[in-house]
Amino acid sequence: MKLKIALAGNPNSGKTTLFNALTGSNQFVGNWPGVTVEKKEGRLKGHKSILISDLPGVYSLSPYSLEEVITRDYLLDEKPDAILNIVDATNLERNLYLSTQLLELDIPVVIVLNMMDVMRKNKETLNLEGLAKALGCPVVEISAINGEGVDQAIEEAIRLAKAKKTVHPCHYFSGEVEHGLAHIEEAILHHLPDQTQRFYAIKLFERDPKIAKRLEMTPAQLAHIEEDIKICEAAFEDDAESIITNERYNYITSIIERCYLKRREENVSLSERIDNIVTHRYFGLPIFALIMFFVYFVSVTTVGAWITDYTNDVVFGQLVPNAVEGFLISINTANWLNSLILDGIIGGVGAVLGFVPQMFVLFGFLAFLEACGYMARVGFILDKLFRKIGLSGKSFIPMLIGTGCGVPGIMASRTIESDRDRKMTIITTTFMPCSAKLPMIALIAGALFGGAWWVAPSAYFVGVGAIILSGLILKRTSLFSGNPAPFVMELPNYHMPTAINLWRSMWERCWSFIKKAGTIILVSSIAIWILTNVGMAGGKIGLVENFSDGFLAMLGGLIAPIFAPLGFGDWQSAVATITGLVAKENVVGTFGVLFGFADSGQAGTALWAPLASHFTTLSAYSFLIFNLLCAPCFAAIGAIRREMNSGKWTWFAILYQTGFAYGVSFIIFQLGNLVINGIFGLGTIAAMVLLIGLIAYLAKPGLPTGQARFRGKKGGQVI
Amino acid sequence: MMDWFIGNISTIVVSTIILGLVLLVIRKLVMDKKKGVTSCGTSCSGCAMAGSCCRKPSIKEN
Repeated sequence: MKLKIALAGNPNSGKTTLFNALTGSNQFVGNWPGVTVEKKEGRLKGHKSILISDLPGVYSLSPYSLEEVITRDYLLDEKPDAILNIVDATNLERNLYLSTQLLELDIPVVIVLNMMDVMRKNKETLNLEGLAKALGCPVVEISAINGEGVDQAIEEAIRLAKAKKTVHPCHYFSGEVEHGLAHIEEAILHHLPDQTQRFYAIKLFERDPKIAKRLEMTPAQLAHIEEDIKICEAAFEDDAESIITNERYNYITSIIERCYLKRREENVSLSERIDNIVTHRYFGLPIFALIMFFVYFVSVTTVGAWITDYTNDVVFGQLVPNAVEGFLISINTANWLNSLILDGIIGGVGAVLGFVPQMFVLFGFLAFLEACGYMARVGFILDKLFRKIGLSGKSFIPMLIGTGCGVPGIMASRTIESDRDRKMTIITTTFMPCSAKLPMIALIAGALFGGAWWVAPSAYFVGVGAIILSGLILKRTSLFSGNPAPFVMELPNYHMPTAINLWRSMWERCWSFIKKAGTIILVSSIAIWILTNVGMAGGKIGLVENFSDGFLAMLGGLIAPIFAPLGFGDWQSAVATITGLVAKENVVGTFGVLFGFADSGQAGTALWAPLASHFTTLSAYSFLIFNLLCAPCFAAIGAIRREMNSGKWTWFAILYQTGFAYGVSFIIFQLGNLVINGIFGLGTIAAMVLLIGLIAYLAKPGLPTGQARFRGKKGGQVI
Repeated sequence: MMDWFIGNISTIVVSTIILGLVLLVIRKLVMDKKKGVTSCGTSCSGCAMAGSCCRKPSIKEN
């Protein structure tokens, strides 16, 4: 017997953890609301006929956000055989609000009380039998993270689904409201099954336009029920939606009074104590900056760099090239083939793979910060700052995901309801340094700055700074002007992440990186080697002795002058920048091929000595900034195209990003040249004019007022 | 001809292996592209979008 069981609940209540426990899959679990944007499906372990759907977390079944629309449409259209409603036992009031709505859907519901272990630790007790009786459905307690009670919960759901035993909601509203609902049911919903009439009547009472459309209501019918709604509104002196909300909360309060016992005195919890420091109005931002500095410093400059040096020196500097070279010589392959394999494939792919250890350390830190709950606070900390530039803290979620990869980061912008804010988030998300940019950051920090402590962390802050500056610039245009939408996010309690979750997160990202090196980077490296080594020499096309005679040098030479004002007007840097469009790892891979990474016979940063001699520190930093901020890789451009749903907007995004990157690099290089080397020229004047023009533009009045305020829950308290 | 072939057999074999590898990679990239799987730097299970890259956005452009 085929069964469909849906997991529904508030954001960050533990649905994906339960989904993983039920299906044995490895879906990403993060400790911030909105991790699941689209529904995920999997088969129950040991029961292939039972499909489990992990729905995005929602607070209600109102159609205000994309997550709510996806969840509601699924429940109404797909009509699963049972719902496992995950309820965070430590936050009953807010979670039961959704439960009261799920119970009206005419679908069997099992309430799954998650985090009961935390509740017990807090010396709080809950009368499960009383709760089940009050809600009119089975209640099971579990701890999804420890796997306790999971089997019992799913068995209960299967039992109800097989029995097709729907729940009749036990809750009733005040007399006037019930009277209004009865009128609506009688007037226009009598053709529907009895059990579903109540849900639709309540939604029509709330003037839900999507439900009215779904039921194909005529204007006459809507006008008829409007009379009943207005009578109620007059009686309660409130709008219809607020009346229903208050009625639900009155009911929930009555349940909690009966079933919930808090033994301990109201103390300030650990989460609240931590929040008092890390979300402090003055210290919050500096603490965030300090944490991210530490993360990038340790990952790229110290611990990560030590392991990477070993990987580069020993594995890809000696072991692999020596072994392969020895083998090729022993079987007597042609010199050009040896060069293709050693300089092209190992040089290009090896140069990229050498940075995997740094990536592993970095993603370990980021996974910890996400899973423990700190990153959710960053949304809160940055909301105030983002609001000033016309973005809401909600834009931080795509940017947070974008530190792993820009593609899902861009797609996560779907949850932003305001079209204007969404477009601005899409345009700016890829400024965050993604995993593909990490090898480039590490290479320049290590090989060109001798492991200077500030280079790698600065890449992260340049990304954040570029978002803020872009926000200020774009918000002053008619395309993006206006106040940001309000942002409501529940801050989860801090908890210690499990080792398996951290490992999964790190491994997923690094394995994807390794796979990419074995596919796109491999093909790109071979193409770069061929185009470098084949060219025109003596009027004939063939293998060339000197790279500068190769086709790549010719092509690179054509575009190199564009980058000359930025300090890297050589064909190698131009080619690396262009190949970076295929995948950003290609920047390092291209340097690996062009500067003989596998062939240098050096160790440590000297491995990259030929490359280092090619740049000054200033031109290297300018190169880094340009490649961090310019148009992203083709995969991300494709994602921008899909999410913008417009060719014009995609071109706008690409041109803006590239123009912005060019402007920033130009100012850095030209003014840096003046300060460091005392060189003054036309470029310096142009950079000064550009900088002064930008400052004057930003100083103009017309900033958004930012009236909307952040609302959320800070360590259990609504703020 | 035969002498040349025997003299270069190792080069021919290794080149063929590399060529085959490249063709397989290109085939995979093309198939992924057709399936709507992007070459992004994360796997579908590690993504908040759960591998729904190829799906059209629900939000319509204004």
